[in-house]
Amino acid sequence: MSNNRVSRRQFLGYTLTGVGGFMAAGMLMPMVRFAVDPILQKKGDGDFVQTAQKISELSNEPTRVDFSYEQVDGWYTSEVTNSAWVYKDGDNVIALSPVCKHLGCTVNWGGDTAHPDQFFCPCHLGRYEKNGKNVAGTPPLGPLDQYEISEKDGFLLIGKPTENTLI
Amino acid sequence: MKYTVQDMTIFQQQKQFIDTAIVPLVQLDFSEQALLQSSMAASYLLSLTNYIEQQFKGRMVLLPPVCYTMMLRSPTLLQNIHEELENGGFRHIFYITTDVSWRTIDAEKAIIWLPPIPLESMDQNVRKSILEDQLKQILPTFLADWNTGQ
Repeated sequence: MSNNRVSRRQFLGYTLTGVGGFMAAGMLMPMVRFAVDPILQKKGDGDFVQTAQKISELSNEPTRVDFSYEQVDGWYTSEVTNSAWVYKDGDNVIALSPVCKHLGCTVNWGGDTAHPDQFFCPCHLGRYEKNGKNVAGTPPLGPLDQYEISEKDGFLLIGKPTENTLI
Repeated sequence: MKYTVQDMTIFQQQKQFIDTAIVPLVQLDFSEQALLQSSMAASYLLSLTNYIEQQFKGRMVLLPPVCYTMMLRSPTLLQNIHEELENGGFRHIFYITTDVSWRTIDAEKAIIWLPPIPLESMDQNVRKSILEDQLKQILPTFLADWNTGQ
C-alpha cells in the first residue's frame, strides 16, 4: 500500500481527466447521434395497415377489404378509409387498388352485369380483368395498382400501392 | 375531383370526361332550437358528398358547400350558380341537400333531397355502411341523367 501512494498532484490529474472526459462525451454524443440518425431510423411494420380480414377466409373471388388510417393535412387530422380488392391466386394473396387508372374513380368487381368477371368503373365504363389488366378499347390506359401485403396473426395487412406485377 | 388546384388542372385537360358537378346546399341556422339539427345535417351532407366524390372522382367535381341563411334561400341563388356551372362546361349538375324546402322552391333542377342521419353517434363501420346505402339510393338518379345526356 505504501509503495503506490497517490500523490495529491496525481489524484487531481486523474479526477480532472475523468470529469473532462465525461463533459466531452456529453457534448460529442448528441452530435454523433445526429450524424448517424438516418441509419438508426427503424423501418418496419409502420407502413402496413391492419385489416379485419382473415387470410384463411379469402377465396379466389375478389372481395372488398376496407382499411382506415389517420391522415394529417396541415392542422387537419382525418380518418381516411380505403379499400382493396383481395383474392387468392393459388397460395398467393393478391390485393388490387380500387382506384381506376383513368381519372381515379372507384372500380367494383362485377359492377357491369354484362361482364361479371371483370372490374368495372361506372364513370366512363372502363373495365379491367381479374389480374387488374385494363381491357383494350375502354378508357383506362394502364393496369390497376397492386398493394404490398403482409400477414400478422392470420390477419391481412395492407401496405403501399405499387405497380402491378402480375402482367 | 375537388375544387383544388391539382384536381382543377386535371379537369381543364380532361373536360370531355368530367362533365358532372355536385353542389351541396347547406343551411346555416344559429337559432337556439335548430342549431344542433342544422349542424348535424351539414356534417352528414359533407360526409356523404365526400364519399360520392371518392367513388366518382373521374366524372364529378364536388364543389365547396353553398351555405345560405333562410333569407338567401331563393331560386335566384340557385339560378346564378347553375348558369356559372353551365358556362364552365358542366352538362350534368346535381344539387344535394337535406333542406326540404328546396323541392318547392325549384322543382326543375336536379335537386336530391335526403333526410339527415346523425352520423356522429355512430361507429366508423356503421357510418360507412350507411353512407354506402345512401349512395345506392341516389345512384339511379345519376345513372339516369348520364344515360340521357349521351
